Amino acid sequence: MPIPELEKPIIKDVISKEKAIIDGVEVDGTWNSFIVERTQTGYDESMWDEISSTLEGVTISACWQCGTCTSGCTMREYDPNFSPRRFIDLARKGDRQSLVEIQDSLWRCVSCQKCTHRCPKGVMVEEVVHAIHNNLLKHGLVREDPSTKFDELFLETVMNNGGRITELTLGAASAKAGFVTLSVKDLIKMGGALLKSGLVKDLIKPSRVRKWSKVRKVLEEAMKEEVIIQ
Amino acid sequence: MSERKEVYGKAVLYPGCSLDGLGKSYEVSLKLVVEDLGIPYQRVEDYNCCGALEVKNVNTMVGLLLPARNLSLAQSMGANTVISACPGCHYSLSRANHYVNKYQNVGQRVNEHLKKMEEEPYEGKVGTAHAVEYVYNAAGVEEVKKRVKRPLTGLKVAPYYGCLYSRPKQFLGTGYSPFKDDPERPNFMDELLRAAGAEVVPFEAKTMCCGGPHVYSDAEVSVHLEARILKEAKRNGAEVLVTDCPLGHVAIETNMDKIARKYGEELRMPLAYFSQLLAFAFGHSPDEVLLTANLTGPMSILRRYI
Ligand code: SF4
Ligand code: SF4
Repeated sequence: MPIPELEKPIIKDVISKEKAIIDGVEVDGTWNSFIVERTQTGYDESMWDEISSTLEGVTISACWQCGTCTSGCTMREYDPNFSPRRFIDLARKGDRQSLVEIQDSLWRCVSCQKCTHRCPKGVMVEEVVHAIHNNLLKHGLVREDPSTKFDELFLETVMNNGGRITELTLGAASAKAGFVTLSVKDLIKMGGALLKSGLVKDLIKPSRVRKWSKVRKVLEEAMKEEVIIQ
Repeated sequence: MSERKEVYGKAVLYPGCSLDGLGKSYEVSLKLVVEDLGIPYQRVEDYNCCGALEVKNVNTMVGLLLPARNLSLAQSMGANTVISACPGCHYSLSRANHYVNKYQNVGQRVNEHLKKMEEEPYEGKVGTAHAVEYVYNAAGVEEVKKRVKRPLTGLKVAPYYGCLYSRPKQFLGTGYSPFKDDPERPNFMDELLRAAGAEVVPFEAKTMCCGGPHVYSDAEVSVHLEARILKEAKRNGAEVLVTDCPLGHVAIETNMDKIARKYGEELRMPLAYFSQLLAFAFGHSPDEVLLTANLTGPMSILRRYI
């Protein structure tokens, strides 16, 4: 059973003796206390290997924990638990439990790419953050979150609509999945503008890729494939 | 001038779903601008969705194959460069380019799948550029100045580039070439707008995130991020927020009422694509460049130039 990160002292216990004699000399004060050490357990080191063998996570090992990514992170300002530096640290230690505890933060990366762009060590941070989250999803350790739900919806919409999306097909799918989208008032206002631009017909009857059924079949095959980086 | 055009070799335009959807005013106006400037505008036909920022999170291989098929289509048109007007597409195509070149076994798998789709195997050599970079490098500021018939003198604008126009450098090559914009403080769009006569206000939220990928899934955060961008533009006296990203543009426009209700009516501001302003300055009518179709009604400000 993994131990939560913050409750993992290296010191297991302290033994104090009333009277301690070492090499024939009686010691007192702090010298008669003994530390019982412990080896930390509960980590799953395979997590590091699993992540670094994915395309998105392959750069995880280069991180030197400087914190540049977290200090400029868009999401960090909204969520103090959101820290790409810490996610990387926990993932490399294999501390899945601590990551699971902050699962409500893990999915919130908005892909602004500041972290990746600025990392002095060339870690593809945004990709690594997703690789870490995906690892937990793969092991069934975290609940499905809104962002993953939306991403899956997006892919499904592309697949089912001839290889393209429109705001309408995507909006309809999102509304069906229970995301709060636009109010009726917003829609009426948008409708007016759409009519003006002659866009309505493009949106209602979006164009499709001509040979989509063939492409789709290949994509469905490809979906089953795991990409491993050696 | 002919020398500058050589930057991109044969350039083709990847429209992406957004330009054929709500971003139609972007596509229509960009076409006018590019044609007026005498640089090529040839669309990639039968393209598919690039997968944006979503598909890559769900499935690694499909996240590469969607953009790779488009790169292969561009390659079979004999293109050296594929231009995207949507920074999301630009990012996604550049990302696939990076990975198929960097990891050979990945590139090989991608090509095996492309063959099954009956597409050309992708050799990894098509370059990528954003529409702002394309107009700036292939035509140049001087050419823009020459086309201006309706100078936007005194129009205060805040150019909003968004995240993926210049980040990350590893995919987009920003900061390594004079033809790529500065990754932290871009200014190509500033210069194009100045060439059209507009006054660019100081604007430090140029590359701030609008929360785009999470407009649905983390709506409150997105609305707050958007309000901050508008607040910066307002604080510096901008009259119009000028965009180069259909995702950000549509997100801010559709959220404008929500933003105004929650963070104050004074944040209301019209939005226009940079290409709409350039085409308008080149003398095209507001209807022609679909300025009249923007939800935030930029004509209320631009009327004074007619
Ligand atoms: S910026 Fe890079 S090196 Fe620094 S903590 Fe983040 S990932 Fe690690
Ligand atoms: S891409 Fe994600 S993790 Fe990186 S800075 Fe942006 S929000 Fe933070």
